[in-house]
Amino acid sequence: MKLTRISEQPACQSVPTGTRTLNRREFLRQSGLVAGGAALATGLGAGMMRKSRAAEAEAPKGGEIRQVKTICTHCSVGCGILAEVQDGVWVGQEPAFDHPFNRGGHCAKGAAVREHGHGERRLKYPTKLVDGKWTRISWDQALNEIGDKLLDIRASAGPDSVYWLGSAKFNNEQAYLFRKMAAMWGTNNVDHQARICHSTTVAGVANTWGYGAMTNSYNDMHNARAILIMGGNPAEAHPVSLQHIMKAKEEGGARLIVIDPRFTRTAAHADQHIALRPGTDVPLVWGMLWHIFRNGWEDKEFIRQRVYAMDEIRAEVARWTPDVVEDVTGVPEAEVLRAARTMAQNRPGTFVWCMGGTQHSIGNNNTRAYCIFQLALGNMGVAGGGTNIFRGHDNVQGATDLGVLADTLPGYYGLAEGSWKHWAKVWDLDFEWIKGRFDSGSYEKSGDQETPVMNTNGIPVSRWIDGVLEEPANIAQKQAIKAMFLWGHAPNSQTRGPEMKQAMEKLEMMVVVDPYPTFSSVLPDRKDGIYLLPAATQFETYGSVTASNRSLQWRDKVIEPMFESRPDHVIMYQLAKKLGFEQEMFKHIKVENEEPLIEDLTREFNRGMWTVGYTGQSPERLKQHQQNWGTFDFTSLKADGGPCDGDFYGLPWPCWGTADMKHPGSPNLYDTSKPVAEGGLPFRARYGVEHNGTNILAEGSSNVGAELTDGYPEFTADMLKQLGWWDDLTAEEKQAAEGKNWKTDVSGGIQRVAIRHGCAPYGNAKARAIVWTFPDPVPIHREPLYTSRHDLVARYPTYEDRKSFWRLPTRYQSIQAKDYSGEFPIILTSGRLVEYEGGGDESRSNPWLAELQPDMFVELNPRDANNAGVEDGNMVWIEGPEGGRIKVKALVTRRVAPGVAFTPFHFAGVFEGQDLRAKYPQGSDPYVLGEACNTVFTYGYDSVTQMQETKCTLCRIAKA
Amino acid sequence: MLGLLLPFAAALAAAGDEPRVAPDPTAVSPGVELWDAVRERQPFDAGQVRTQPPGGERGVLINVGGEAWRQFRMQELIPVAARVLGGVAIAILLFRLLRGKIPIRAGRSGEKIRRFSGFQRLVHWTVAVLFVLLALSGLVMLFGRYFIIPWLGSEFGGALTYWLKRIHDFSGPVFGVALLVMIITFMKGNFPALYDLKWVFKAGGMLGGHAPAGRYNAGEKGWYWLAAGVGMVVVVSGLVLDFPNLGGFDRDAMAWYHRLHSIGAVAIMAVSMGHIYMGTVAMEGAFECMATGYCDSNWAREHHDRWYAAITDEKSPSDTATGLVEPAPEPSAATRQQAG
Amino acid sequence: MARMKFYCDAERCIECNACVTACKNENEVPMGVNRRRVVTIRDGEPGERSLSVACMHCSDAPCQAVCPVDCFITTPDGVVLHNKDTCIGCGYCFYACPFGAPQFPLDGQFSTRGKMDKCTFCNGGPETADNSPDEIRKYGRNRLAEGKLPLCAEMCSTKALLAGDAGVIADIYRKRVVNRGANAYLASGSLQKGAFEALQTPPQPE
Repeated sequence: MKLTRISEQPACQSVPTGTRTLNRREFLRQSGLVAGGAALATGLGAGMMRKSRAAEAEAPKGGEIRQVKTICTHCSVGCGILAEVQDGVWVGQEPAFDHPFNRGGHCAKGAAVREHGHGERRLKYPTKLVDGKWTRISWDQALNEIGDKLLDIRASAGPDSVYWLGSAKFNNEQAYLFRKMAAMWGTNNVDHQARICHSTTVAGVANTWGYGAMTNSYNDMHNARAILIMGGNPAEAHPVSLQHIMKAKEEGGARLIVIDPRFTRTAAHADQHIALRPGTDVPLVWGMLWHIFRNGWEDKEFIRQRVYAMDEIRAEVARWTPDVVEDVTGVPEAEVLRAARTMAQNRPGTFVWCMGGTQHSIGNNNTRAYCIFQLALGNMGVAGGGTNIFRGHDNVQGATDLGVLADTLPGYYGLAEGSWKHWAKVWDLDFEWIKGRFDSGSYEKSGDQETPVMNTNGIPVSRWIDGVLEEPANIAQKQAIKAMFLWGHAPNSQTRGPEMKQAMEKLEMMVVVDPYPTFSSVLPDRKDGIYLLPAATQFETYGSVTASNRSLQWRDKVIEPMFESRPDHVIMYQLAKKLGFEQEMFKHIKVENEEPLIEDLTREFNRGMWTVGYTGQSPERLKQHQQNWGTFDFTSLKADGGPCDGDFYGLPWPCWGTADMKHPGSPNLYDTSKPVAEGGLPFRARYGVEHNGTNILAEGSSNVGAELTDGYPEFTADMLKQLGWWDDLTAEEKQAAEGKNWKTDVSGGIQRVAIRHGCAPYGNAKARAIVWTFPDPVPIHREPLYTSRHDLVARYPTYEDRKSFWRLPTRYQSIQAKDYSGEFPIILTSGRLVEYEGGGDESRSNPWLAELQPDMFVELNPRDANNAGVEDGNMVWIEGPEGGRIKVKALVTRRVAPGVAFTPFHFAGVFEGQDLRAKYPQGSDPYVLGEACNTVFTYGYDSVTQMQETKCTLCRIAKA
Repeated sequence: MLGLLLPFAAALAAAGDEPRVAPDPTAVSPGVELWDAVRERQPFDAGQVRTQPPGGERGVLINVGGEAWRQFRMQELIPVAARVLGGVAIAILLFRLLRGKIPIRAGRSGEKIRRFSGFQRLVHWTVAVLFVLLALSGLVMLFGRYFIIPWLGSEFGGALTYWLKRIHDFSGPVFGVALLVMIITFMKGNFPALYDLKWVFKAGGMLGGHAPAGRYNAGEKGWYWLAAGVGMVVVVSGLVLDFPNLGGFDRDAMAWYHRLHSIGAVAIMAVSMGHIYMGTVAMEGAFECMATGYCDSNWAREHHDRWYAAITDEKSPSDTATGLVEPAPEPSAATRQQAG
Repeated sequence: MARMKFYCDAERCIECNACVTACKNENEVPMGVNRRRVVTIRDGEPGERSLSVACMHCSDAPCQAVCPVDCFITTPDGVVLHNKDTCIGCGYCFYACPFGAPQFPLDGQFSTRGKMDKCTFCNGGPETADNSPDEIRKYGRNRLAEGKLPLCAEMCSTKALLAGDAGVIADIYRKRVVNRGANAYLASGSLQKGAFEALQTPPQPE
């Protein structure tokens, strides 16, 4: 059966294609449509092998096959991909054996990324909801209508009534541009998924020792003698990381402990699995520390030199005797002791955590407790140790670093006048102009001072629905949110589904910018006011992406944007043009054919990101690393010879100074055994030099080769002068550095000189075990808002309700006051599946993946299933205490403990039993639809970052 | 760094006091256990077995029945079927050589008796044609590998077999319907009678002279019931094999239905060879019954005496009028041809 | 001469299904046909282990033995291939195969079987022209012809699934078993931990 090309222009077959670019029509024909035609034409027996393989095989001959190096867009491991492209069609995918992270390995998602080149379920052109029907419109019309409406809202309600919800799917350059665009628009109502993923990590960890990021790397786990994973299931969420863990286990004899309410696929490979009651991380960590302190297993010298206020932790830990720990967590003493002993006996040990630890109303307490555990064992700043926090999305680390957040500017520059002025300088813009873009009033006071709006935290993504639904009088801004941009965001990853539906219906305008229509397009019952704009995927553009280990990797463009999709930065440019600030926004960025030059964007943030050392990673250096994957060591990530000799792969930030300084990047944070110039660092002096009269700088510890052998504060121009190092600066640097510090000196001179003397620009302090600026300085346990142990609320109550927190009233105590545990006896938790990612709109539209997980399900212990009269495979209703309900398939398994149910969160497209497939724009409904578990998940937000509480709520389950 | 290591050593020393599990040098890798389990070498609780995508037999790690089925097909079915079918063929040949064609001893009377109605003949020949198709295509699937493929090559032989298999698949269900109709149509006269025993003892007349028979002799009755019984087994099992993707039966079940199907089919084919021989060239006057619907009265008298007696005793003018007995002496073209 | 084999290391397999999608990716296998699958036993309980299963390219292949049209061949590399032009879709190989490797797409009519489809060890079909459009259409890619191994194994996230010459695979696996044995021995505390570590890593300067 010969597959024949159905072509209107047979002549094009004879055109020698060589390197010429294909027009869209030809592209489509080669990639997908021919296959469809062929299948029709052949009819009988077409089942065996079909689709674009056949089409590709007939793609114009002579087209040379080009190998393109890119990075997987699914998770933060950052696996290298070798894409094979012929005549603009993505025809093959080869394992990148030389890639330092994955050595060619992939998970189901990574091994299926080529399907992006088929893209049959993509959103294909700008679409608008007119009278309840999806209507195709042109880009010009879409941008004009959206822009007019935005300007309208701006005039009537102020810039804060537009919410810019960005994405961890942006590359660094786009993330940076997105934050800049929100600033130019004049709002801090900009955020992205990091808020609901690791915001509590970033806050908790950064406030403990300086930076809120993975301290070591996946590869560095090879050096670990013990690996403790708490609240993480990397076997499904970061499968390739298991390659490193297995290597540590087999070759280094590392012990693996998994602490998770579920017996996860990761736990299946662990030496010890501890199932705790969801939401009791702090008690369990303190329970382990109790044994460590009691047996004197802590690293006393390390604590003396490098940790502040461990004694206050001792006092808290002393309360967590084994019987109390068992009562609260459900874990018997022997298990806790065994884990503590394993960690004490096998050093260095690393501590890995993910969403299981962060997504709680006390998420910041959890993450700080984990850090303190590692500090107590002296596991910080050593190879094989550290807190290896696995981030989620491929570029969630980068998008966080580049400030797509409601409370920071790029580089974690806080919302303060100094930060704005720093960035105004980098952008070469007038500070007053930027200030004028914001609302002129003030929403809150700091002491007696009115805080300008530009310095006020915006509404976080976890709470945008309240920003729409809350009484305007209760929102600390001029008016409620009236228009939403959902720019690369899956709404089903957020809790309180029914309320989100209401919020979406109340908005005046909703703009979805995404390669897929997403659940946003079908959830609200609206007749108009929704725009869907097709964005290109990261395979259809290029730029840098930051993996979880802080390495920046360069992606090349694999294929041209499919259908009518456009890369995000192009859309941003066009929108800025419509909104009238493109001159300012792109002042030093070259724009060609409406496309801002990615490299110029990289260079611009290189010029401003001194705090986190995003300054040395010039596009040229990143591209060089990309071209020399194979020269980096698999364990240390250090290039041994070759053009990148001495560099660590991807120049993991902080990569100090300018690119000319050739800093190699910092592979393991806070590692004093290396000179700063070679990637070593002490803990950061971020919280002053003393607290309550006690020195909080390091004592008798400094980096190898440092001229200051004791603790020292962060570097400023004055400090250089005091040390007599001022004249090490060049004349130009002196001019730029005068009156500045290491964070604001845009010449990089202060950093250069500090490092030349072996010192870290940010100082050398102790890590702090207490964070006196947080609601709970010592991390303590507080029961979840919806707790299964209401009897413990008296001892471990949650916080008082707060009137205005990130501009919104936030409830704690008033919810916890009611005991729901009788009516809703089962604890509900959520997590990932290996086949899908995030909200799943992309992966559920990939037939190779969708086939593997066709049904949304809930894992139920046989005991609970029997009590509910449910058998494996039955449909059940799960009802939450706030009224949300979902109808899903029961999977009866001992993976979950009695009284605990688990649902994956990737599904969407069904709402409370109603299939919404017909509501998707035609041809862009994902292959697999299912109930979004977050329809049932409830209220509850972290006391520092507004992280949503999705890892423990209550529910009841009944046979449907 | 020494400072860092000291407490580590201290911790180790302290931890060393804890009791340790005694080593078991004979402990085997869990992997060994798993693979033994997979191969079912030792009893093992596999617990819940799951796979993605869910469903069907994807969750079966090892198809234990596969080897047994292979043994059945290769070591039993094919050699035994070859012997049985070949044996029957040889037996028929020998019988022919020894006995020659069985004549109508009294010669043709010229008087024709109606033996089968048009509908009966239609049903018979439908079943017969389908049966031959099914049998031939089935035989090709059974033995084709040893002659079709070496002879015609894998390309053409494969294509031929493919089409024969499709014919087999599609004609099977039709055959089933036809067979059902045939069972009903031919049921009258096929119930056993006491005198059938005599026929059996006399081996249909080969031993001890004349054997009594009704409308159908005991051999034919046996064939009828065999075709009805085993035939339906073959039909039903064939239907199971015909729709593998409906998912009603798993692989093991299908292998068992295949066993039934093949054994039944070989049995029927073996017996059918006898029937075809007897019905065609073995005896004078037999084929014309099913070809024309009429038989010679002498043939009826000699081979189906009871039936002949019954219809002649009851013979009345009305029978002639209804055409039960046709007095015309002129043999039909078909009969003539047969006789020649 | 190489003798190609798959081996799945159950201690390493984490059921990430990369092998499954890698196969779909390389060979454009349609929905409903799974040349490779991952089976998990004791799912959700201690002792949970997964295995990636596909055609194991048996030396005495049952599929080959029972095929009524003799459409299987074993290549000099030990890869069991079958010929879709000859295949009649009878399903006998499916009955006989211990691993459930043979897959049958719907033929479109009356729910009958199409021609069998199975793992080719990424070695295409019996076609003489490697990676010809015809071969790719019918069997998928012929990676062996390009000097590469099956993509499922090459992309395995934890290097659990090994493919290649039987001797080489056995060596890799043996090393792992030795390491695990040593670790198990260490964990049991019978060997001086320090001594073993000294063997493994040279002394570090302090």
